[in-house]
Amino acid sequence: MQTDLLCALIPLFPLIGFIINGFGFRRIPKSLAGAIATVAVLASFLTSCFLFGAFLGNANLTSTAGPLKAVLFDWISVGDLDISFSFQIDQLSLLMLLVVTGVGSLIHLYSIGYMKHDEGFGKFMAFLNLFVFFMLLLVMGSNYVIMFIGWEGVGLCSYLLIGFWNTNTNYNNAARKAFVMNRIGDLGFLLGIFWIINLFGTTEYTDVFKQATSLAIGDPEILAITLLLFVGAMGKSAQIPLYTWLPDAMAGPTPVSALIHAATMVTAGIYMVVRSNVLYTLSPLTLEIIGGIAIATALLAASIGLLQNDIKKVLAYSTVSQLGYMFLGLSVTAYTAGMFHVITHAFFKALLFLGAGSVIHAMSDEQDIRNMGGLRKSLPVTFITFLIGTIAISGLPPFAGFFSKDEILAHVFEHNKVLWALGVLGSALTSFYMFRLLFLTFFGEFRGTEEQRHHLHESPATMTAPLVFLAILSAAGGVLNLPGGGWLSDFMAPLFEGSRQVNPEAFAESTIDHSTEYILMAVSAGVALISGIIAYVMYVSRGAVPAPETTERSMPEQVVYNKYYVDEFYEAIIVRPIRGLGDALYSFGEFIIDGVVNGVAWLVRAGSNQLRLLQNGSIGFYVFAMVLSIVAIIALRFFVRF
Amino acid sequence: MLTDFGIILLFILAAFAFIGIVLFVARLLRPNRPNEEKNSTYESGEEPVGNANIQFNIRYYVVALVFVLFDVELVFLFPWATVFGQVRLINETNGSWGWFALTEAFLFVGILGLGLAYVWAKGYLDWVKPQPKIPRVDTNVPADLYQRVNDKYSHSKP
Amino acid sequence: MFPIVLLSVFGILLLFLGFLKSRAILLPAALLFLLVSLAVNFIDWNKTYLYFNGMLLSDNLSMVFTAIVLGSAFMVVALSGSFMEDESAQPAEYYGILLFSLVGALMMIGFENLIMLFVGVEILSVAMYVLTGSDKRNLRSNEAALKYFLMGAFTTGIMLFGMALLYGATGSFTLGGIRAYAVNPQVGLSLLFYVGLLMLLIGLLFKVSAAPFHFWTPDVYDGAPTLFTAFMSTVVKTAGFAALFRLLSISFSGVYTFWWTILAIITTLTLVAGNITAVYQNSFKRMMAYSSISHAGYLLIGLAALGQQTKQAIVFYSLAYSVATIAAFGVLLLVARQRNAETITSGGSSSESFDAFNGLARQNPLLGFAMAVSMLSLAGIPLTAGFWGKFYMFSTAVERGQIWLLVVAVLMSAVGIYYYFRVIIAMYFREGATAPIRVAPFYRYVLVVATLLTIGLGIAPGLLEGLF
Repeated sequence: MQTDLLCALIPLFPLIGFIINGFGFRRIPKSLAGAIATVAVLASFLTSCFLFGAFLGNANLTSTAGPLKAVLFDWISVGDLDISFSFQIDQLSLLMLLVVTGVGSLIHLYSIGYMKHDEGFGKFMAFLNLFVFFMLLLVMGSNYVIMFIGWEGVGLCSYLLIGFWNTNTNYNNAARKAFVMNRIGDLGFLLGIFWIINLFGTTEYTDVFKQATSLAIGDPEILAITLLLFVGAMGKSAQIPLYTWLPDAMAGPTPVSALIHAATMVTAGIYMVVRSNVLYTLSPLTLEIIGGIAIATALLAASIGLLQNDIKKVLAYSTVSQLGYMFLGLSVTAYTAGMFHVITHAFFKALLFLGAGSVIHAMSDEQDIRNMGGLRKSLPVTFITFLIGTIAISGLPPFAGFFSKDEILAHVFEHNKVLWALGVLGSALTSFYMFRLLFLTFFGEFRGTEEQRHHLHESPATMTAPLVFLAILSAAGGVLNLPGGGWLSDFMAPLFEGSRQVNPEAFAESTIDHSTEYILMAVSAGVALISGIIAYVMYVSRGAVPAPETTERSMPEQVVYNKYYVDEFYEAIIVRPIRGLGDALYSFGEFIIDGVVNGVAWLVRAGSNQLRLLQNGSIGFYVFAMVLSIVAIIALRFFVRF
Repeated sequence: MLTDFGIILLFILAAFAFIGIVLFVARLLRPNRPNEEKNSTYESGEEPVGNANIQFNIRYYVVALVFVLFDVELVFLFPWATVFGQVRLINETNGSWGWFALTEAFLFVGILGLGLAYVWAKGYLDWVKPQPKIPRVDTNVPADLYQRVNDKYSHSKP
Repeated sequence: MFPIVLLSVFGILLLFLGFLKSRAILLPAALLFLLVSLAVNFIDWNKTYLYFNGMLLSDNLSMVFTAIVLGSAFMVVALSGSFMEDESAQPAEYYGILLFSLVGALMMIGFENLIMLFVGVEILSVAMYVLTGSDKRNLRSNEAALKYFLMGAFTTGIMLFGMALLYGATGSFTLGGIRAYAVNPQVGLSLLFYVGLLMLLIGLLFKVSAAPFHFWTPDVYDGAPTLFTAFMSTVVKTAGFAALFRLLSISFSGVYTFWWTILAIITTLTLVAGNITAVYQNSFKRMMAYSSISHAGYLLIGLAALGQQTKQAIVFYSLAYSVATIAAFGVLLLVARQRNAETITSGGSSSESFDAFNGLARQNPLLGFAMAVSMLSLAGIPLTAGFWGKFYMFSTAVERGQIWLLVVAVLMSAVGIYYYFRVIIAMYFREGATAPIRVAPFYRYVLVVATLLTIGLGIAPGLLEGLF
């Protein structure tokens, strides 16, 4: 079957790239390693495009846009449980495929330029390929188990890549933190999967959702499952309380931040919720909880972003905040809007990270925006693309971010006015810190050292080309889903058939009329614009520069600057007690456990020593033992009743 | 009614009974005058020496094995003759059964022939010749000295 | 059926190839013959035929077992390059006998008539007696061969006695005939039948070295040349279990209640004797002998809990066990040869002890890895084929509700981890002055394939399903 082959090919290309680069990175020259890795992902992208075209054609022809399934092999079959290694191709996985491979290949291209001088270039490329492979498994798998494999795999790659410069202890700690926090989330996800197996007897999406449609809204088991799954999503997509790893993850090389920690991996949580939309629609309480957590995350992260001085940290908090927006959209069953924001966010956040990377590259690894300024003359391409990215994320029309964020906010407005107001506030904060970042970096006077000024240069074409591509996408991405029933809504509609069936009200036609909608648009765009202007006044007209570390800050400023002391809080209430408990158990348990273990080991060895003596090498004895055994068996069988 | 095995049992019993009866009758009829020569083991006229439970030369075993091989082959040919030599089958198949049976037998004998050829070519049929060890003594006396001594003194006493 | 005929012809052919001046052709020829046999094995795929007037059956299950046996034999033969260097070795005869013994193994796999079972067992056993003693100058090899022969002849007698009794009771040598008698007794089953069943079982259990009929195993495995130990512990065991499975599942499934307790007791004894005794061994080869006893125990679980899943479990377990065992013995061969060469110059510990593996992984990462993977697989650690083998076996016990058997098996596999990990610890954490060992390319391919197979089946155990 042709689609089967195509499906298998898509993840295979990066895997091959990983194998070549991973095993041969000492021997393969850098130029070749970069080319192999990039071509591998590009090949996946082209295959995905082809598959997409075929799928569209197929959907138009037969008018039944059901999912295509490609079963590669039966994987585990135990009792009644059958888990096959298979891929599911439908609207959702196709969109994710295109985003992952498309943005992925641009970032691979960018990495060639960015990492050129690094010693571990081949290794880096290999890890990136491996990441893409697992990410593709995650989005293509046709059941939760395959998704879980991808989920764990991307976690692993994230860990490897955050700690890529592993000579730095801080970076290693950041990697470990990311891994541990993700593991906490994974535990929830895994329990959720177990529960699904228990309840439905299968993990195959189509079967699970078919069975789920017959359940009532508010079923307590579904509530538990969705909450557990959401715990997984919290870890992966950095929501409160498991978000602190993402800013720390900026320790990794910038392309990693762009690919993994902005465009793809962190949106896995949203993908999972959208994938399980039937289950979530069945459980309104979960959606309420998600909504609360999402808006809190969005505001908290945005407010921290206001005072950060590290260019990548600002973007990291912005990512956390935007992820909050996506979940906010999901929480009001605006799944399409959430996915739309995933796509546009992938474009502009990847763009912003890559732009930041370009700046860092030019500034010789300087990341503090207090030491930048006035870069727009030296880095014109970076500046323009970064500007487009900033406008897009701030939600100014007609760039991509405006449409996606606006759609989310419109759905929220319909659902809950207070949430909407908070969302608009967050939008204002976003606009402010992004323009602050832009102005501090590219406007004003250069504040760095002489040496850095001397060294300033525009990045090579391998780096600027992806920037330009992404800038175009960020600018024009909005056309995917224009207000009032865009292409994306129609395209994704079949995915939500099940949800529509179980809860028709949640999918009722929009009740707000067009005039209200326009007003809402105007409000959010206006707020964003005003914040941008305020930022302009503060940082360009007045030329304010954030204070250095040593200055005294006012109390609230101090709290925000130190990220609300969340890390310290976790350290105090979780890490220390656990460590203390561990110490206590160690000193006490060591005695008993070791005693038991050693005792058993001694017993076995003693028994072994005795049994060994039976093997005395004399045939006479052996035959005698056999005859005795035969007699015993026959006697046992015929003369002893049991 | 006796089964087929019953008949076989009867045959076995009859055989034992026959031997027993013959020996018993012979004991009644024969004269009984033993002497030492008569009670000793008969070994084809040779004087018996020592115990019969000695280790035989390994060479006998090889030959015995090869002999047993062909002996067993012969045993197999009896059932072949009875199963394949049925006139009814030969007539029914218009004679081709006979050819089939013949080919089978030749295959069988042929494989054994190959075995024999292998054994032969490997030299296992050759009677292993003893290779006497000539004792060597470490001495400074040259070997031809003895010869010269012999030569010298043989002439003095003719 | 085709492999049986072909292997007989090829065996004779190989003997005569031995007359050629050059020995170099023997190994490729033997491998080619095995490959051809393996290929023709699948001619009847998805068809069921009775051959030779209902003497042998050829169905998918028997073909899968045949494939495992021939595949194992192929790998063992591929590891036999050292014969070419040894002046006193007779490779043509070894290979010939190996092929003949495979004929016996295939008959045990596909027998439909007890006569065929007996002939198969004897062909296989006699060939093994010879191969065990093939290292003619080595006293231990000779002793092992004689022991094996004496005890084997003794149990052959018991087995033949059992068959005779069965024939006396049922009037039939065919599996179907015995089944018909056992399932549908006219006047109740005769005592002869039960005693015959037990004796036949005992005969076969001896061949697969189940306790308390395992005493020959350590001495014979230890004494035999390592290569033939590998052959014995894989091919003979697989064939033996295939025969046991056929016998129990077809002829005697009707009287399950009669024999399962006996089999369960034997299983427990085997597991305990194999695993516990292995702990104290200092020689790797002897440890592997006890390990092979313990694996017979795990395989017996599937028979004691005969059910729907037994077939699949036994096939999977045999495959996983064979592959891992061959890889382990392959590495041992190389290490022991190297150590022997060293001992001649310096003097030191025995070439087959655990100490011989000290520091192996540092100088020879491939050998270390292959060995580590096979040890993990034998210990039943997840992501290796051995884990799924044990998993399937244990689930048969669960299916039958034989929880106590399961408990014993799980405890014993925990003991197993102890001695398997000794090798890994020696290879990776101990210091040792191992020079890099030269591995011939073909040898390396075998090790790599075995390792990949172990890992591949560990990751995707479902690949094998649906084959039969």
